[in-house]
Amino acid sequence: MSGAGARATGRDPVAILAAGVTTPVGADLDAFWSGLVTGADGITTIERFRVGDLRVARGGEIKKVRLRTGPMPRCRASALLFAAADDLLARVRLDVAAERLAVVVGTALGGVEQLEEALGGEPGLRSAAGALYDAPAHALARRLGARGPVLTVSTACASGATALGVGADLVRAGLADRVVAGGYDVLCRFVMRGFDALRSLTRERVRPFDRRRSGLLLGEAAALVLLAPETAAGPRLGRVLGHASASDGSHIAAPDPDGRGLEWAIRGALADAGLGPGAVDFVSAHGTGTLLNDRIETAVLKRVLGARAHAVPVNSIKGALGHTMGAAAALEAVMCLLASREGLVPPTLGYEEADPLCDLDYVAAAARAARPRVSLSTSLGFGGCNAALILEGAG
Amino acid sequence: MTGPRLTAVGVLTGWGDGVSALPADARTAAGARRVVPLAAPALPGERFRRATRECLLGVAAVDAMLRDGGLDRQAIAGPRTALVYVTAAAYGASNRAFVAAAGGGATLHFPYTAPSAVPAEVAIECGLTGAYVILLGGAAATVDALWQAGMLVARGQCDRALVLAVETFAECEDLYARGRWLAQGPLVEAAACALVVGPGSMATIAPASEASALEILVERRAGVTLACGPLIALALARDAGEPVARVTGRWRRRHAAIDVAVGAPDAAPAV
Repeated sequence: MSGAGARATGRDPVAILAAGVTTPVGADLDAFWSGLVTGADGITTIERFRVGDLRVARGGEIKKVRLRTGPMPRCRASALLFAAADDLLARVRLDVAAERLAVVVGTALGGVEQLEEALGGEPGLRSAAGALYDAPAHALARRLGARGPVLTVSTACASGATALGVGADLVRAGLADRVVAGGYDVLCRFVMRGFDALRSLTRERVRPFDRRRSGLLLGEAAALVLLAPETAAGPRLGRVLGHASASDGSHIAAPDPDGRGLEWAIRGALADAGLGPGAVDFVSAHGTGTLLNDRIETAVLKRVLGARAHAVPVNSIKGALGHTMGAAAALEAVMCLLASREGLVPPTLGYEEADPLCDLDYVAAAARAARPRVSLSTSLGFGGCNAALILEGAG
Repeated sequence: MTGPRLTAVGVLTGWGDGVSALPADARTAAGARRVVPLAAPALPGERFRRATRECLLGVAAVDAMLRDGGLDRQAIAGPRTALVYVTAAAYGASNRAFVAAAGGGATLHFPYTAPSAVPAEVAIECGLTGAYVILLGGAAATVDALWQAGMLVARGQCDRALVLAVETFAECEDLYARGRWLAQGPLVEAAACALVVGPGSMATIAPASEASALEILVERRAGVTLACGPLIALALARDAGEPVARVTGRWRRRHAAIDVAVGAPDAAPAV
């Protein structure tokens, strides 16, 4: 694999010291990785809320959220964030003054269940502030004792990538010595109703890039990483080399048919990293399993990667987890780094039959032995949000 | 270090267009009203048939900024203009409408429940295809947004950046009535947009130990406008002839500050 040796004009990389997650295929980082590489399927019948009136009643639901310390918060979004933070803190010490610790998390939905509750007349002064989408990020900051910047990013399903990018910017600008950054979202009736109404959910299995793909399924998760200056001491999982975002400016819900925004974001992230497309060893695709997304994403990757496009392995882990919205890009970034560390690229669960319009080297059927050093992670979201990350594994 | 430079700003509030419409004292002017609403602007075009009030306000705020700067939409179209959007609460109305529709009846188009709907409509309408960041929170998040905008320009990812904030409260007045921030004054709906270019150097944000004179002035004259507050502050500072505005903003337990040049191009702020 080509590696990042050709970095020329990019800005300072930002170290990723460790990661913590909670997902439908595993309650912590080790279980998540094990689940991905063994082809575990996190899609089940949803049990936590009423789904009988919906066309589709399945998703990547976490059946039991576990916290190592403290009481379970009433807000499920906060609970998922706390679980991921517990996992992170089991792997690394924050080791920083409270004023120099920042929190940047991405979400599409915040604690929308709390908003539904508050709108339903739940009494109490705190319910109004707790109902706003940025409440879980502040709850996480309080739990971590962070007194630096606390930012909530909401670029829809690209939120996790944008949050990692904004977090990296805070480190690069010297505004924080450590940033807990990532994303989360909760599978709830609000979002299930919405996607059900849009007819975006499949009644079959999720099949990213497969000829028979017929839509996505939703999931819930949280993923956090600890960002630090490159000079930070100690072991690390990898580095953020570059990131960028771009707006489609074309449609409120559908991606730009030519993928112009995604292409801008990828090219911008490569420029930010000081790398050319030839440096990319692996692509973690957004890969939702919808007809449009996967075709557009394939076309964009072919334009950006050029002659090497068919030689670069591509995967999507949404077949295993469902689309975890604000958590998705953060989880996928972590997956890229683990792939580099473990020398194994997880399979695209559900991918079996090639589509002539999706003709890249998708990692299918089983995990592939490979040790990507430089990974590209792509994300798209409602509102024409596009984001790309360039990551380097510690190898 | 130097920070971002303001070249145009548009402000719409429940009091009227521009900061000249602000009363001397918002509490007195509001009387018994808890929310001072801002009517949806009448924007032409079939494309807006599904758009929410907050989306229309976002587009109107950008148009107000363009009028202020003597610019047209062509001046900001394309990939070299970044869009940084901030709101604390402007998705509440669409979320409530979607929740209310659960029992049947007309359903709001689901994508409009997302905070990203407002900048999406702005980007579509104005042809913005540059860098794109959406932050949720009150005035402190807008300070972060101004920093983001300055940084995007400084690192060459764009030539200019729009910092857009929209806040609506009327549809969820009963919810916000339970919020402690109401004790400070009337909730005043607002939409504001600042056009920021950089002198080329990196901006910074810093913790603020106390509210700046501008923040106090905005609260007194405009009322509680959450994320729109710092942008209203920029307009007030510019109209007062200040070369540099120290903008501070609070949200939850955080208080942040940034210096923004609002005067002539050679008046870059020292941060």
